[in-house]
Order: sequence, then C-alpha cells, then structure tokens
Amino acid sequence: MTSDEALMLEFQGGSRAAFEELFARYREPLYGFFRRRLNGPERAEDLTQETFLAVLHASKRYEPRALVRTYLYGIALKLLAAERRKQLRDGPGLDAAPERVVHESRDAALWIRQALAKLGDAEREILMLREYEQLSYAEIAELLHLPINTVRSRLFRARMAMKNHLDPQGPASLIAERTTEELTTLRAKEEAPQ
Amino acid sequence: MIKQLHPVEPEELMAYLDGELSPERNTATVAHLNECAKCQTLVDDSRGVSRAMATWQVDSSVVPDAKISAAIDAWEKEQRVRAEEKKTWLRGRRALRVAFSWKLVPVYSAVLLLLVASIRFIGSNANTAFSQLGDVDLDHAQQVGETKPSASPMAAYRSIPVKPAPGGDGNRDKLGDSVASNMPAAASGIVQKPKDETRFSFSTDGQVVNGSPKQLERLEQFAKLNRPPNAQASSSAPTAASPSGPMIIRSAELSIIAKDFGQVRTRVEQIVAKHRGYIGSLQAGGAAGAGQTLQASLRIPSDQLDGALAEIKTLGRVQSESQNGQEVTAQYVDLQARLSNARNTEQRLIDLLRNRTGKLSDVLEVETELARVRGEVEQMEAERKSLLNQVSFSALNATITEDYQAQLQVVPPSTSTRLINAAVEGYRSMVDGVLRVALFLLSAAPSILLWAGVLFFPARFAWNKFRRAE
Repeated sequence: MTSDEALMLEFQGGSRAAFEELFARYREPLYGFFRRRLNGPERAEDLTQETFLAVLHASKRYEPRALVRTYLYGIALKLLAAERRKQLRDGPGLDAAPERVVHESRDAALWIRQALAKLGDAEREILMLREYEQLSYAEIAELLHLPINTVRSRLFRARMAMKNHLDPQGPASLIAERTTEELTTLRAKEEAPQ
Repeated sequence: MIKQLHPVEPEELMAYLDGELSPERNTATVAHLNECAKCQTLVDDSRGVSRAMATWQVDSSVVPDAKISAAIDAWEKEQRVRAEEKKTWLRGRRALRVAFSWKLVPVYSAVLLLLVASIRFIGSNANTAFSQLGDVDLDHAQQVGETKPSASPMAAYRSIPVKPAPGGDGNRDKLGDSVASNMPAAASGIVQKPKDETRFSFSTDGQVVNGSPKQLERLEQFAKLNRPPNAQASSSAPTAASPSGPMIIRSAELSIIAKDFGQVRTRVEQIVAKHRGYIGSLQAGGAAGAGQTLQASLRIPSDQLDGALAEIKTLGRVQSESQNGQEVTAQYVDLQARLSNARNTEQRLIDLLRNRTGKLSDVLEVETELARVRGEVEQMEAERKSLLNQVSFSALNATITEDYQAQLQVVPPSTSTRLINAAVEGYRSMVDGVLRVALFLLSAAPSILLWAGVLFFPARFAWNKFRRAE
C-alpha cells in the first residue's frame, strides 16, 4: 500500500489518482473530526470539503518532512478555529440540527458530549485528537505547538477528569444502566440552545 | 503517593496503554502492573474512558464528493494551463539563453563588422561618384575650351558654342591647371567651395605675414588678370570695384577695460567718424552694483582698421585682442568669370531672339532661358558687391567694460523692509514651488500613466510566476 506521503508527492507532480486516493482515505476521518466538534452536519460536510480544496489549491506548500495526516489535521484545525470565530461573531447558525449519529450509539454520544463539555478547551482537544483521530503524542504536540510532555500530562488529566464526569464505576456500565427518561432529559438539554 | 510507592509514573501507565512508551519502560511497566493492583485499576480506568468514548460514532457516509470532483477537474485544467505556460516560459528562456550565449559572440561581431563595412563602402562609393561627376565636367570644359551648363534643360541651347569671356574663362585657361582646379564651379555650373580658400594672419600694420610665396604670386596674378579693362587703363590705385591686391575680409575683436567710462561712447563715435567708418550696432548698459559695458560692432575701411584699432586701444587697458583675415580672391575671380559668362549668354540669347525666327514654342523657351540667365546674373552681381563690401569694410567688434569699484552700502535696509521682502520672497517661492509641482505633474503624468499601462501586465505576469514558483 502506498504511503500517504508518497501519494502526496505524486499529487504534487500532477497525479489526479493520487489525490483521489488521499481523499478516499481521509474523507471519513476528517468528517468525523468536524462532526464531533460542530453542531451542524452540513457545516461538517462543508469544512471537510474545504479542507480538501485547501490541499488542492496549496499542494505546493506541503513539505515531505511532515506527515500527511498531521498536515491535513493542521488545515482542519485552522478551518475549525475560523468557524468557531465566525460562530462567536454571528451566533449559532439556523441550520444547526440535532446530531446525526448512529442510532445504536445515540444515547451514548449525548452522554459523552456532556462529559466532554465539562473539560477545559485545551484538555478536551488533546483528548479528542487522541481518542478519535488516533494521533500520537508527537503529532498532537506538533499540531498544537506544545511540548510533548505537556501533551502527555494534559491528556492524563483529561482522562482522569473524563472518568469522573462519566461515572466512578465506569462509563460503559453507567451508560447501560441509565434510564430512558434520564437520557431523554439529557437530550432535551442538549438540543435546547439550538 | 503513587510516585513514592510505585516505580512507574501514572502518566507512564497511560502512555503504556497508548503504546507511547519506550521498550525499556514498557517492560518495566508490564512487570509492575503484574504486582500492583492500584496501578492495574488506574489502567483499567483509562481503558474504560477510551472504550466509553469510542461508543460515540458518527455516520460519515454523508460526505458528498461532487464538489470535490468538480474542484479536481478545475485543478486538472489549471495544471494543464500551467504546464503550457511553463513550457512557453521555458521555451522563451531557452531562446534567450541561446540568443545571449557567449558562443554566438563571434557571429554577432562578424555581423556588426559587416554592417559597419557595408555602411562605409556605400558612403565612400557615393563620395567617389560625386567627385567623379565634378572632374568629368571640368576636364571636358578644359578640353573643348567652352563651358557647358549642365543645369540647362534645352538641347538646342546646349549646342550653341560659347565664346570664352575676356575676363573669365579665357583668363582661366591662361592660368593653367593649378589655377583652373580652384574653379570647378565655373566650368561645370556646380557651385563649389574654392579648395584653396586660405586664412592669413596679419600684423598690426595689415601686412600679410603668413602664406607661401607661391600662393602670394598666384593671388597677385589672379588680381592682375581679373582687373577690368577700364580699371587697368585708368589707374593703378585700388578701388572698391577692382581690388588690385589679394582680396581679404578682415575682422578684429577687442576687449577693453576703461576707467573713464563716461567718455567712452563719445570717443568711439569720434574715432569711427575720423576713419570714415560707421557703427553697425551699439549697446550700452549694466546691472546695478556692477560695472557698465559697451558693446559696439563697427565697420571700418580696411586700410583704416589698424589706425582705428590703435586709437580705440587708448581708451583703456586691453584685455584681449584678436584679428582674422579670410582670403576670398579665388572666390571673387570665380564669381567674376561666371558673371561674365552669364552676361555673354544673355547677350547671345538676345541676339538669338532678334535674328532668328522659329516656332512660337522655341521662342518661348528661349525667353524662359533668358529670364533664368538674367536672374543668375543679378544674383551673382549682388554676391560680388557683397564680397567687395566685406573686403572694403572690416568688422571691428569692441567690448568696453567699466573698471568698476564696488562701494560699501552705508545705510542698510530697515528691519520692516527686510521682513516684507522676506515675506514676499517666501510667497513667491511657495507659488513657484506649487507651480513647478503642477507643471511637473502635467508634463510627466501622461508618460507615467502610459508606462504604468504598458508595464502593468508584464509585471503582473512576472508576479504571478514568482508566486507560483514559491
């Protein structure tokens, strides 16, 4: 299997197939990245496409010393920051819809989001990059411009805090034991600001 | 507390779960976890958090790729355009590199040399052809002993034999080749500058001090032959109409500094009147705080020039003096010959009109030619008179400057006057500055706009290239 970096170099040389392969590899991870951080699925779709468009238009700026994954998530983080600034300025968009998650994990998702919302911004971002984007400590450090030890300590703190926010007995068991009424209440709270 | 009791840090336990530990620490951590229940619980907690978070899955099948496909198409098109541009650019660069290659320097040099040589060749050919034309006419005239006006349009007139004029061509034939070579214009009808027009220097008494004996002898011979019959018979004294010696146009420049400037003008007028000359122009004046100057252009009879010069020098201290003489004897003789010839031609044309009969067109043609010859005669007569006048009256340009002594200004201007003057000066300079800026803008703006328009597109093209290269 051709590495991401080799594909990127081929794409820089003008290969359309290389770009399509990269798109196929990263479209879902990037959509997940935006979807978990934004309320509206449409914006997540738009920003996913914008990430690839940015790659398309600025392919010359990629340097082989960086991993393609880091490069892509770097662009995605910048787009996300711009989107958040825009939301702060304009207020939440009218198209903000309830999140579309897989039906089986819908309740669990609400519970996880509640717990994540209680974390600080820096710790939440590091935890999500590790758990969902599966980035290594070094990659997170490079993306967030932090020392690797800082990443490790913040990640540890985030995990411990997350454990407390979920349930002392364990998140999975908690989710299983929650009543339907409680979950409905939580969902109503989640959707209320939108 | 864990740190004190356990050889493995809690963060290391988490890193162990994430696979971020070094092999040595990994081994140590595994060994410790087998012994320590607390650390095992901590690892389980971390693992539980990860497992719980993993339950949040999103449906990622919604990402449409239509927009991306369109973007890729556009990108591909742009890539093709850029490739074309790059090819063109590289082709241009290659052509420039070839054009400015050092290997082609000999070729360029050879082409340049050929160009210069061909220009010189064409130029020399033109000169040769022109000079040959003059020589042929002259030689022909000398051989047949008659003039042949090349400018005449009439074939019938060309066939009329021309008798040598008493003071013109006939004299010229007697003088031989050396003299005749000075008068090609007379023989060919082409007006040329005499070749041996020589400048002579003069001493203060007006005698010729430079010039070879042969030249002097020839000039005397010219003058003798050129003298009209009535002048030769009547007197040997030189007259304005028939100079006996070499004909020389004299001129002098004199610059004098005079102490008593008040009397200068009167004295100059007296000197001019005494020597029977006249004042061509006279200007006197001077700026405030500086000496006065008188500039006079005087016309003095040539034989009186030295006396007049000597008297003008007495007006002050001579600062500079120069004299020039231009010998025009040959020019005068040539003019006389052509004049005489033209008069003879005129006479023959008149006789032709009187004695011959023919077609009306022929008569009209002869009339036209007669008018042309008469015009030439009058023009040459005027030229001859002008020459005689220049020879008879020398030009003396005198510049007389006052020996000025500056005087200290005792009463300085008042403060208010100086303030007013400064304000006025400031206002003037401001207006002047604004006016200059406006004039500059008006004069330069069209050019700047034109060049900006011309250079805008190349500059934008280069800038785009530069950005793409980045």
